[in-house]
Amino acid sequence: MNERERSVRGEAVRMEGIVKRFPGVTANAGIDLSLNYGEVHGLLGENGAGKTVLMSVLYGLYRPSEGQIYLEGNPVSIDSPAVAIRAGIGMVHQHFMLVPRLTVADNMVVGWETSRGPFLDRKRIRKRIKELSEQYGLEVDPDSAVEELSVGEQQRVEILKALYRGAEVLILDEPTATLPEQEVEAFFTTIRAMRDEGKAMVFITHKLREALTICDRVTVLRKGEKVGTVPTTDATEAQLAEMMVGREVVFEVQRDRVASEGRPLLQVEGLSAVDDRNVPAVEGVDLTVHDHEILGVAGVQGNGQTELVEAICGLRSAVQGHVMLNGEAVTGSSPRKMAEAGLVHIPEDRHRRGLVLNFSVAENAILGRQYEAPFAIGHVGQSKRAIAGYARELVERFSVVVPGVRTPARALSGGNQQRVILARELDRKPKVIVAAQPTRGLDVAGIEFVWEQLLAMRREGAGILLVSMDLDELMTLADRLVVMYQGKLVGEHRPGETDKQQIGLLMLGGAVETS
Amino acid sequence: MDVLSLDLLVVALRLATPVAFVALGELFSERAGIINIGVEGSALAGALIAGIVAHYSGSAWLALAAAVGIGMLLGFIHAIWCVYLRANHVVAGAAVNILVAGLALFLTVLVWDWRGRSASVVSLDPWILVWLLLVLVVVAQVFLFRTRWGLRLRVVGEHPQAADTAGINVYRTRVAYSVLTGALCGLAGAFLVNNLGRFTAGMVGGRGFIGIAAMVVGNYKPIPAFLAAYLFGFVDALQMRLQDVIPSEISMMLPYVLTVIVLAGFLGKANVPAALGKPYIKEQG
Ligand SMILES: Nc1ncnc2c1ncn2[C@@H]1O[C@H](COP(=O)(O)OP(=O)(O)OP(=O)(O)O)[C@@H](O)[C@H]1O
Ligand SMILES: [Mg+2]
Repeated sequence: MNERERSVRGEAVRMEGIVKRFPGVTANAGIDLSLNYGEVHGLLGENGAGKTVLMSVLYGLYRPSEGQIYLEGNPVSIDSPAVAIRAGIGMVHQHFMLVPRLTVADNMVVGWETSRGPFLDRKRIRKRIKELSEQYGLEVDPDSAVEELSVGEQQRVEILKALYRGAEVLILDEPTATLPEQEVEAFFTTIRAMRDEGKAMVFITHKLREALTICDRVTVLRKGEKVGTVPTTDATEAQLAEMMVGREVVFEVQRDRVASEGRPLLQVEGLSAVDDRNVPAVEGVDLTVHDHEILGVAGVQGNGQTELVEAICGLRSAVQGHVMLNGEAVTGSSPRKMAEAGLVHIPEDRHRRGLVLNFSVAENAILGRQYEAPFAIGHVGQSKRAIAGYARELVERFSVVVPGVRTPARALSGGNQQRVILARELDRKPKVIVAAQPTRGLDVAGIEFVWEQLLAMRREGAGILLVSMDLDELMTLADRLVVMYQGKLVGEHRPGETDKQQIGLLMLGGAVETS
Repeated sequence: MDVLSLDLLVVALRLATPVAFVALGELFSERAGIINIGVEGSALAGALIAGIVAHYSGSAWLALAAAVGIGMLLGFIHAIWCVYLRANHVVAGAAVNILVAGLALFLTVLVWDWRGRSASVVSLDPWILVWLLLVLVVVAQVFLFRTRWGLRLRVVGEHPQAADTAGINVYRTRVAYSVLTGALCGLAGAFLVNNLGRFTAGMVGGRGFIGIAAMVVGNYKPIPAFLAAYLFGFVDALQMRLQDVIPSEISMMLPYVLTVIVLAGFLGKANVPAALGKPYIKEQG
């Protein structure tokens, strides 16, 4: 079939009346969705609206409780990913499904190998990967190990993985959430190339601007129900936001200027650290966060931010340098000591560092405080009542959408998992907050919420170190802004006195200028 | 006395064979994500059944097949426990070991009227199994790193969710390789009986556990795991010669002491499959 035919092939997928119930929640309550070849179809909705579940149904990970899926007009039952793959459906998950230790090529082909007899035909595999890379502008080295790749590269691997399996329908679950802003444009170019090829794509995002830029139509979900499908030609950001939330959304954050007393709360001097492979990742970083202040750290992911944060919080040993909290040296203290001294950490990897996914929301809500009264009774006992009661209160105050506090954390939508972490950490009334990518994957309301929380903490006098890839976030929140590039901090700016372009340039290693 | 000789190397190979069979077996399980410490008991079960079947049928080949069969059955049961019932892998394995140890005493009394050993039974030339082992080690190495099934196996043990979304049936894969582990343990047991010409309840004597250790020292790779097992066989052979020189109580400890020392050096450095011992819970509703 040639390209022209493909793009006029019409409807690729139709989902009719999809219902998906979990114990205590109806994640999808009768959703219709139509997806055409040659179309980028946006799927919008607040955290927990049911986007991932709906797409997991299409990819065969969940069986729908009710409803019917049609592929090119034929009713099908997709009961495993294997069936979906054979039907030409590919999915790039919100959390990547790659084996860090294996090579790009191995990751790409597993389950769908090109072989000569029983043997992997590595030569042909490499050739095919190269062809696809060139065709869609997705550059990767098939022989490098996935653990050595940046997030952007891993994402390319995921897309190539789907294309390698001959996907004609491609589901992209929040592909831009972890992508540095500088790479989004290139990513869109790839999407457009795939669309011109006639592929059908579902694009899940929380960034309305992106949805309007790249999508042909968008479907909005709210609390498991479909609100509607609209063409992007006559939609506006405000209109979409209203559809998502059910009320008008103001994109403004109250940002009262509280003067800092200039009392340093967190001081970092000459801090150096190495990454997991023992390569220097942080080199002689100095920074100070004062009371009533948010210090923003910008930078493309992989420039040492992760290691810097971990070294400050006592999760990674520093090779050199000091960390002082409120004037006291705390370098190398355990995270528990840190927390008791008033420093809390909102980790960037919520699955690895933030939550125990198999534990209940209640247990996660007191992680790190399990030894404190009233949660602990003596040295061994735990008060289930106190824990559940406290968790219920947090869930209420931080508007976590969850059927009950005994639900395991893994059953929460991405955004709600983040709310649990925030609730737990901020409720400790910290003096210093080290927040890494705190709004990643959050919906508009969620972002607004986190920003308000951080600003409230600042108003109360906390010092906040905010590491983020999102320049808009940093420009909005930070009092001062530094850029991290290859393990070093370059330049210090005040938002409002510099523009985004200038910071963007620094993030890519552009000339360092001292203003 | 000529302690070191070509002869020693040959004896070492023979002593290493049961250890290496188990090491190879454990390798497949653990690569799929299942810990099986029941290999010790599975090998003993293989030996026991081989003895019994040889006794009644008079066919050493039938005995060999039965040993493999019982191993596969135990591997299957272990997999059902670990994969579907999400039992703790170590506890499930220990249960097998205890069960088989008891069964060995009971059945030897029943069949031969001796507690814990058999009369002599028909046997094959054990070298048949040694050669089989050498072939299997090479095949396993190629299988694991050059074939598509090997790749799938590695992904299942490293990242079951990724395997699942790539269209691989994680549960079925784990069960299949656990059964293969059992088969190889059965071969280890059959070798011991064919080597000695009879069954004794103590004949595995920790070789199953040492097989697991050899696999770790061999960093989850077939050929290195075999070499580690061979090292054990070599020290075992050496200690037999040394028995003339030093008290046997001490010399017999050597292979075990060596295992502990080598393991202490290697543990923590091996590339343990990331999902080892963790149940995979498929998100379903
Ligand atoms: N395996 C599961 N078991 C129980 N409930 C689940 C499960 N997976 C999802 N849910 C629930 O279904 C609802 C929809 O979740 P889903 O992950 O689809 O949200 P989402 O729209 O993708 O949100 P986000 O933007 O935060 O990723 C949520 O309330 C969630 O708690
Ligand atoms: Mg989601």
